[in-house]
Formats: sequence, structure tokens, C-alpha cells
Amino acid sequence: MRRLLLACVAPFLVQVPAQAQALPQATVRTSAQTFTLPNGLRVVHLENHEHPLVRVLLWVPLEPSDVAPGHQGLPDISLRLLSRSPAGELKADTFERSLAAAGIQFEAICTQDHLEWRLLARSRDQDQALGLLAERLARTALDPALLERERLDCWREREGLDLPPRERLARLLRLDPTHRPTAFSLGSISFEDILAFRARVLRPQRAILILHGDLGLEQAKRLLLLNLGAWTSGALESRPPAPFTAPAVPPDPIRITTGEAGLRLQAWAPCPAEVSPESAALLRLLVVAEPVPHGIQHRVEASGLEWTLEAGVASTPAQALAQLQAEVEALRQRRFSKADLEQARRVYLAQRPLEALHPEAQLATALANATGAGVALGRLQNLRIEDLQADLARWLQPANLRIGALGPVEALKALDKP
Amino acid sequence: MRLLVTLFATVLALHAQVPRLVEVQERRLANGARLLVVERRGLPAFHAELVFRGGQAEEPTALAGATDLLARTLFGATWPEDLQPGKGPGHLDGLLRQEEGILEALRLERLHLHRDPAAPSQLPGLEASLASLQTRLRAQGSTRALEDVYLSQGGSQGAEARADALRAWTELPTAALDLWCRTEAQRLQTLQLSRFSLQRDQLAAELRARGPQGPALLLGAALPGHPYGRDLRDHLPTLEALRWSELRSYARRALSPGRLTIIIVGGQSLDQVAPLVERSLGALPLPQDAEEPLLPEIPSDLGDRRVQATQGTEPRLLVGWRIPPHSHPDHLALRLAAALLDGGGTGRLVTHLVRQKGLARQVDLELDVPGGRLPGLLTVDLRPATGHSLPELEGALHTEILRLQQEPIPPDEWTKALALLGTEYVHTVDDPAALARALGLAWAEGGDWRLLGLEAQRLSTLAQETVQAATRAWLNPSHRTMARLEPSITEAHDPLDQELVKVLGALAEARIPDLAQREHLVAEGLRQLRMLSPEERLRTLHLMEAQLAPVKR
Repeated sequence: MRRLLLACVAPFLVQVPAQAQALPQATVRTSAQTFTLPNGLRVVHLENHEHPLVRVLLWVPLEPSDVAPGHQGLPDISLRLLSRSPAGELKADTFERSLAAAGIQFEAICTQDHLEWRLLARSRDQDQALGLLAERLARTALDPALLERERLDCWREREGLDLPPRERLARLLRLDPTHRPTAFSLGSISFEDILAFRARVLRPQRAILILHGDLGLEQAKRLLLLNLGAWTSGALESRPPAPFTAPAVPPDPIRITTGEAGLRLQAWAPCPAEVSPESAALLRLLVVAEPVPHGIQHRVEASGLEWTLEAGVASTPAQALAQLQAEVEALRQRRFSKADLEQARRVYLAQRPLEALHPEAQLATALANATGAGVALGRLQNLRIEDLQADLARWLQPANLRIGALGPVEALKALDKP
Repeated sequence: MRLLVTLFATVLALHAQVPRLVEVQERRLANGARLLVVERRGLPAFHAELVFRGGQAEEPTALAGATDLLARTLFGATWPEDLQPGKGPGHLDGLLRQEEGILEALRLERLHLHRDPAAPSQLPGLEASLASLQTRLRAQGSTRALEDVYLSQGGSQGAEARADALRAWTELPTAALDLWCRTEAQRLQTLQLSRFSLQRDQLAAELRARGPQGPALLLGAALPGHPYGRDLRDHLPTLEALRWSELRSYARRALSPGRLTIIIVGGQSLDQVAPLVERSLGALPLPQDAEEPLLPEIPSDLGDRRVQATQGTEPRLLVGWRIPPHSHPDHLALRLAAALLDGGGTGRLVTHLVRQKGLARQVDLELDVPGGRLPGLLTVDLRPATGHSLPELEGALHTEILRLQQEPIPPDEWTKALALLGTEYVHTVDDPAALARALGLAWAEGGDWRLLGLEAQRLSTLAQETVQAATRAWLNPSHRTMARLEPSITEAHDPLDQELVKVLGALAEARIPDLAQREHLVAEGLRQLRMLSPEERLRTLHLMEAQLAPVKR
């Protein structure tokens, strides 16, 4: 009888620490700790007991040499195949049903410079969530039969063929032209290329995992060791891919034909790697503060700057394009003062507490810090106006600018005319 | 003893299943506004939200677009000049009045010229006056974003015009709470709307560029004559004729304290927040002519309605069922039904129509379109896979609805849908912005912010029979409206389609002399060819080209 009573009470006792942890903490809400698993996986642990939730971000960087010339789209198609193949003993649909039954959000994302997996689960499902992530990463048997279908879907998605024209233009501008997959490049990728890519890239030593939520450090270590400790590197392919060479000449503007009467021109300047994180953070504030002429709108994102011009009837398409380019050039030539720099610095520092309102932003900052792309307070304070100015010139140099246009065929053709 | 143990175990099991309710403290301010505070101790910043009940649905037709304009003009930014306007001629208020006069004169002059192009024009003079006045206005206003009151404090802000509410939110460091209270009170008292003309032009341009929208077509057909069915694009002339003073006087009525709920999620308690809010937002006066508008009611069983339109670049099937408002007892059951059908990408529609049968390429489901305060729609948006037609999709969707109504729900699907909604609730409570939004909408649409937590609790006691009964009552053909959208056949944007149109036209030219018949044949031919995969279409194109004389290829 006593045993029975104990058995009934046991789950409650296990829950007691969790309930106690769930009480709001008075001062420190999120503390960061880092450690490395024996297999080389680096972990940043952000402890936060506000709610019974756990967030995981697994980040794997891509290097230019990971994708051989002519194989643009290899990371995309590899990730798609990985996401749709059986994971361990779970078929793809059983895997998804397991996630859904536990209310776990699971997302795999491919960008041109990294792969990432995001998990969001209730604390009570954290074991299952990390177990499923481990299954996906380490025990997925890639299914070659899926490759042909994935090629077409991958191209469709990357090209944004299902998106409204405006969103499609924005999507295409954000794709580095040298990495943009084509039907031909995707068609030339073989199953062996995908296996080799996986072995080369999906390695714990290359990855960083951010764990945020309602669990202590020791608990986090045990959980990760149990689930991802067995994730090991596959045999590396002996043949390294050929070094990647980007074309020297920027490609033609992206053109999208629509039935709309007006012409929409868009310019996108991605933040170059040479611009320091501190400069980039302050320039985003300063650029958004700049007034723009009527008809032009600008937008600032973490990864770059965007300008949009809705061409009116008063100007030809070529004149409108020249106006847009002149606007960016004028900003490149802009001389910010020391007072501007001080103001931007002050606003940036004032913004920092707002991060506490957004758990995903905390993950992003932790990742940026772990990869050396985070803003360091010391460097921010020491940033000189000359450095800021040089970084602005670097960011907005014509070679770094991607142009796109959306409109009727005649207007798009007229863009070529002087 | 055994009984005690069983009872204990049952209590524990129930405790584990029922989500904990979020702790919200409420206070009613002297002027009727509500204050909700969710304390998150240790949080160094706060998320504050002003929710005004009403929204686009309550706009009079003559003021269509007013809520959208208020969201942009009043809450889009916080310029210092809008908070402390100088009065009298030459100052901001006076200049805005002059601008309104010139803009109205310009509008009338353009209308006049449109009717009688030969009439003598005063347009150049008026345009010059407007340009000169706007230069003076700009000189009085801030030009750089860092002059924005909130941005300069490290904050951010935004606003959203919805069918049932206008939401305006701000995020700032905790130390700026007093500043926020004073600024918002000042904003609502002054109602300066200094960038009105610019924002009105931008909104009109965006609406024009947006083009006809499938969902708007569905709403118009499903809710005829009701404000929920209104498409702002159809009211562009009204929007362009809207005046600064009209919007201002509408704002005084629509943004009155009696319609306001203030939600603050942050590091401070109600006792710390309430005095600041009482002194500022609590001191806003109530308008004299506050009157609740009467909205028309539409019977839910209007009968099965169908619309067919040529629109967009790909075929699309939109289906909407008129469902009860958020406060109705069946609403929660329909929410669960929606989770069973949609289920975060693993629901029945995706599993059966996309993965198993391969009929659809994409499925999207939405509840309470465009709002939940009045009877709205549950919509399903389907895009067919290559080689499948809209009637096929329509049949398959109908089968899924009938299965939901008639067949027992498998336990794993039921558990999955419950887990989905349970987790959604936990995520909402975790995120200050999502929590404030959900509390605000529960109040604006459901009439009580407590619905957010109560529904999360009620889910665990909901029976399958209740869900099936609700789907039988509401998701039936008499509540349904269906819109079939197909792209224009001859204005194809796909290069392959353009080639096909050319070759089909050339082939038809040789055989059919009647132009109308020829056009019909080309359109029908392309419609049939679109059922094929791109590879098959390309092969067919080559075969057809081979039939043409070499000069015509």
C-alpha cells in the first residue's frame, strides 16, 4: 500500500522543483553558461524559469567551399531530403505526428550561410523534443527515392514561385546571386553529393547549440549528453570540393513581370562580413533615421538595407533606376557627425533591455556572441566616426548592391535602355 | 484508503493537464478605461498595448479607411511636434487646417477638370500653394527618425487596424513607464495627425498596387452588405476625399476611454503602474456624443453561394463558412475542429489532400475572418497540385468535412489537436507581446479578457460529440460560400504559357475564321494543357510547333 502511495506521489515530487523554479525570479532572469560536449558540440545554456518552456537553436555554419561550383542549392536540397527521410525507426509522417502529438514546434531552415534547427517544447516534453532532434540529425537514413521530387519543390520554393510578386522580388534580392540555385544546378546534384555534403557539414564540432528555458545547468548537461552525446561525425569524404569563386561582375537586375501598371524598383544591400558588428548595429539606426525623398521607402533589417521606389508616370524606367541608385550613392557619401555617432550609441544601449521581452531575440544574441558576431560593449564604446564612415562606404558600394524590378514587360525592357 | 489514493491520483492527473492561468490584475479607471497588468518580476522592460474596441467594422461608410489611417498617422510614430502643438496661425495646427483646405480645393478642381477638360484650370496655382505650405509644414516637423520620442529612448512601437479593434503597442525600458503614460495621454488629447495627407496618399497607393484579392472577394460574397465584407479598395474615392478634421473628430469618438483597454506586461505591479496610468490616461475626458453604432446582422444560413473569377496567376479555391462570434458557446468547439483540420501542418487537410492524395499543393485554414466579435468566417484556401482541377479539390474538401461531422475522431488525432491548442496557450503566455495581444483581442472580440484563460481550461473538458455537433451546425452548405479563382488564360505570365498561347493561336488561325470562336478555343486549349506537368506541356508545345509551317514557328 505504501509503495502504491509512493508511486502515486512520485510524479508529483518530481514536479515540485519545476513548480518551484517556475516562480518569477526577482533580479536575474536569464543567465548564460557555455560548455562543450565530449563530441565537440558547443552549447550555450540560457537559464530562464519564467515559464515551463524550452527553446533550442542548433546552428551549423556553411563555408563557401562546402558547395562546389555548379551545385548551387546543395544545402537546400540536402536539408529537404534530411527532413523528409525516415529518422531512425520513425517514418517521416510518424516523426511529424510525434512532434504534433506533444505540441513540439520543430523547424529546419537553410540560408546561404548556415543551416539551423529550431525547437520549442513544453518543459515536460524536453526529453522527447531533443530525442527527436537527435534522431533527425544523427539517425536519418536519406531516401534516394525522394530526390527527384525534392529537386522541383526546392527550386519552386527558392525561386518563391508561390509567393505574391512583391514578396518574391524581396526574396530573390536576398539570395546571393552566386548561390542562387537554378533548375540546372539542382538537376546536377546527385545522391552521392548529398551524402558527402552531410558528412562534411553535419558535424557536432562545427555546430553550436543554444538551449533556453526552464532547466538548470546540470539538468541541461544531462539532457544533451543523453540525446546528442552520441551524435558523431560521419566519415569525411576524401575529395574536398573545389574552391568557390564568385563572379567578379554583378549580375543583371532581377525582373519579375506582373499585370500591375506601375514599375517597382528595389535595391538590397546585404551587410558585408567586413563590416564590424558594432558599426552595423549603429549604421542600422543611423540609416533608418535618414529622411528619404517622396516616393522612396527604406527598410532596415538585421541582414541588410532595402530601398523601394514606386516609379511614377513622370519618369522613365531608366530615370527611376538612376534615381534609386543616386539615393543609395548619396547615403554612401553621407558624412555622419560625432554627435550622430553618440546619439546612435546611446539609443543602441537603451534598446538592449527590450531584448528581455523577446525570448527568440535572446537566442539570436547568444548565438551572435558565440560566433563572434555579437556587439561587444568595449568595441562599441571605442568605435570612431572614421571607422563607421568606412564601413558605411563598404556596405553601400555599388558592387554590393542588388537591384530588382517588378512591373509590366515594356517597363522591364526599358530598364536596359540608356 | 484505496479510494483516497485513486482520488489523489485523479487530482494530480487533472492538475497536470490543465494549463495554469496567467495572473492578470485588473482595475477600472475613473473615465471607464480598463487597465490590465501582468507582472513579470525582474523584467527590465515593458510591453504596453492600447486596444480600442470598434475597428474597421464600426467605421461609417463615409469614413472608410479611418481606422487604418489612425493606426498609421496617430500611432505609427511619436514626433515631438505632435505632442505639444503650437496654436494659432503659422503654427502646426493652423497650417494643417490650411493644408486641408487646399487639398479639398485641389480634389474638387481635379473632379471639375475630369468632367470638363476644356474649362480654365486653377490646378497649377493650387499645386504651388500646396507645395509651399507643405514646405512650411515640413520645416515644423521632425525629419530624422531618431527624433522620435520612443526611438530616442531605445523603444519601439507599432499599430494594427483590425476588423474589431485598433491596437497600438509600445516597448520601452521600465524606467520610461511614466514617459509612456504621459505621452499616450498627450497623443490622445492632442490628436494632431500631422502626417495625415502623406499617410492617406501612401495608403491609397498601397491599395491600388495590391490589386484585387481573392479573400476580399470571398468576404464580399459571404457577408454581403456587412462591414465585415467590405473591401477598402472599393472605397478609394471615399478614402481620398477624407479630410484631416473629419478623421480628427472621428478619432475623438472612436478612441474614447470607454472603448479602451490598457494592457501592460512588465516588471512592475498593478500598485506601481496604476497611479501613473490614473494620472494620465485615466484623466482623458469622455466624449459628449459617445454612441455605440448599430451594425447590421446577417443570417448565417444565407444558402450556398458560389463566385467564379479570373484573377491571379494560378488557380485557387477559397471556401468560407459563416460561423458564430467568439463569445458563442460553439466557438471553442469550432476552434478545435479547425485544429483537427489544419493542425499546424499535420492536420487532416494537409495529410489527406496534400500528402496522401496529392490533390493540393498548399492548404491554409483561418478562423474568425476578418474578426470574431460578430459572425465571421472559417476559411480554407486551397491551391491545386499540377494536373488537378478545382472541382476535384472541392469534392475532396467536402469529403473531409463530412468525415469530421460523421466519423468518430481517432484518439491520436484528438490528443494532437488538444496538445496543439494547449501549447499555443503556453507560448502565448510566455511571450509578453503575444500575451498582451491575446488579452486585448479576447476583450475586443469576445467581450472578456478572461476568455483567454477560460478557453484553455475548457478545452480539457470538451467532448468529441460537441465538436461534431458544432461542425454539423455550422460547416454545412447553407453557411458556405465558395470562390473559384482561375488565372487569365490569354494574359499568361509563365513563358511556357506565352509560347503555348502563340502556337495555339497560330494553329487556330488556319482552321477557324471566327475570331471569338478562335479566342475561346485558345483559352480552352490552354486551360486543358495546364493540367499537365511542365515537362509534358513542353513536349506538347514541341509537337504542336511541328504542325506549323516553318515561317510561323
